[in-house]
Amino acid sequence: MAMLKTILGNLLRPSRTRAPADMPDVPPAYRGALAHEAARCTACGTCAYVCAPKAISFTQDPGLSVSWRFFIGQCSFCGLCAQNCPTQAIRLEAGVPAGMNSAAGDGFRLESVIPLRACTRCGAAHVPLPASTMDALWGSDEAERGYCPECRRWAAGARLRVAFVPAAGEEVRHER
Amino acid sequence: MPYSFPLGPYHPALEEPFKVKVQCRGEVIDSATVEVGFSFRGIELLAQKRNWVEVITLIERVCGICSNTHAMTFCMAAETIAGIEVPRRAAHIRTIIAELERLHSHLLWAGVGAEDIGFHSLFMEVFTLRELVMDTLEAISGNRVNYGMNCIGGVHRDIPDPKQHLPALDRLATGLAEIVIPTFTGNPTALARTRGVGRLSREQAVEWAVVGPVARASGLDIDVRKDQPYLSYAGLGFASVMRPEGDVLARVVVRALEMVESIRLIREALLSLPAGPLRATEGLPEIPVGEASIRTEAPRGEAFYYVASEGGPTPSRVKIRTPSFVNIPAIEAMVVGQPLADLSIIQASVDPCISCTDR
Ligand code: SF4
Ligand code: SF4
Repeated sequence: MAMLKTILGNLLRPSRTRAPADMPDVPPAYRGALAHEAARCTACGTCAYVCAPKAISFTQDPGLSVSWRFFIGQCSFCGLCAQNCPTQAIRLEAGVPAGMNSAAGDGFRLESVIPLRACTRCGAAHVPLPASTMDALWGSDEAERGYCPECRRWAAGARLRVAFVPAAGEEVRHER
Repeated sequence: MPYSFPLGPYHPALEEPFKVKVQCRGEVIDSATVEVGFSFRGIELLAQKRNWVEVITLIERVCGICSNTHAMTFCMAAETIAGIEVPRRAAHIRTIIAELERLHSHLLWAGVGAEDIGFHSLFMEVFTLRELVMDTLEAISGNRVNYGMNCIGGVHRDIPDPKQHLPALDRLATGLAEIVIPTFTGNPTALARTRGVGRLSREQAVEWAVVGPVARASGLDIDVRKDQPYLSYAGLGFASVMRPEGDVLARVVVRALEMVESIRLIREALLSLPAGPLRATEGLPEIPVGEASIRTEAPRGEAFYYVASEGGPTPSRVKIRTPSFVNIPAIEAMVVGQPLADLSIIQASVDPCISCTDR
């Protein structure tokens, strides 16, 4: 009798299997597919360094651009790339499921092209720093914004020299 | 007429490959030989080719169930070499995740055990309870497996609102006290398949060097959390569970009571979570020349790590000894004289984790 009651009770209850529209909430910390912001990326390579399954790689178009590439089939969703990126260019989006089709072939891929820029001082092609970093470092209208890392180092050295030996202030061009 | 046959590597009881060569006389087992090595992945060698950050991701995949234990033990070894002291909040969070992992592992095991003795409704009940633990882990870490909580020097993720997780623990404690423990210890079906089955005496336990719940069910009171407290265990007051009988039922009871103790530890740790930073270091870790051996109590027993560094970007040696590595051979001692039909529950009772044994 008790069994019949249970069966009847179960028949009258709604389904315990959840419909696709009624899925549980994704937790805020959920690690989904990657999103990459090319404007913030400096192609420093930290994300590729910490990525154990080598889901992140770079290709170059010499003198023109660097491409940051991601393939979801190799990603283990550890989140280390996002945590270690110095400019917060990577996010693991909670809204995009961390699914993959196959580790070898098709699946979600990302490519962001980071155009190189010519140095305003020596002309060398380089990856510019993100605008927010430059604002914080030099303000908005400083000449150093367009410098390549080499010339930035030179400019910093020159400033230091001026601070210590004011007479050495005149321009010394570095050799490239 | 004695006969022998191979059982596995594809298995009736567990979803991992290992092989048992069974010698039988009628329905009674004379002897058995266990063979592992079907899912060797070369993780120890790979670990020497990956940098210190990548190795954590790699090591976390030694085991799908106790992933956190492995990553945590490896990080503790690296911290010991580098002389890094983990902040107290991070140690508490590591303890909480480690104990949640033990809960999830023991519940998974209880479910599989129930399934092995043909008790499907109990399996369903246990796995419903396990969902509570998985939800808590997911809420804290973002994922259901491979939580990615550990980094060298601390933890990656915080528990911003510890009290939020208490109701799930209460529901779990009620479920354990009202359903799982009474059913395993009182239900005639469950008792008939577990009491007196697969005995491992105290002497045999010493001889086969078993660890963890298997050892504690045979009257050996060993537990790294008590014998050599790490993380926050010393401060939280830890009571280990021990049973003298050494049969499958004793292993069930030890694990069940350990879950009750884990719930208490988690609750205490959540309520006393100290304020402070999550990491002792910033940026990518630099590990000086040195070596360290670390023992932790994984859900299945003592996990041992030896890590050596030559100061370079990668570890020069990572040696892993998992608890199942010593527990699995003891199956050979447990099955002698037992009916063939009990082989699967006896195997399951040591909670063998083949993938982490093979690595
Ligand atoms: S995404 Fe971040 S870590 Fe990766 S190369 Fe760009 S700036 Fe560096
Ligand atoms: S989430 Fe982890 S595995 Fe995926 S790309 Fe980032 S570092 Fe690599």
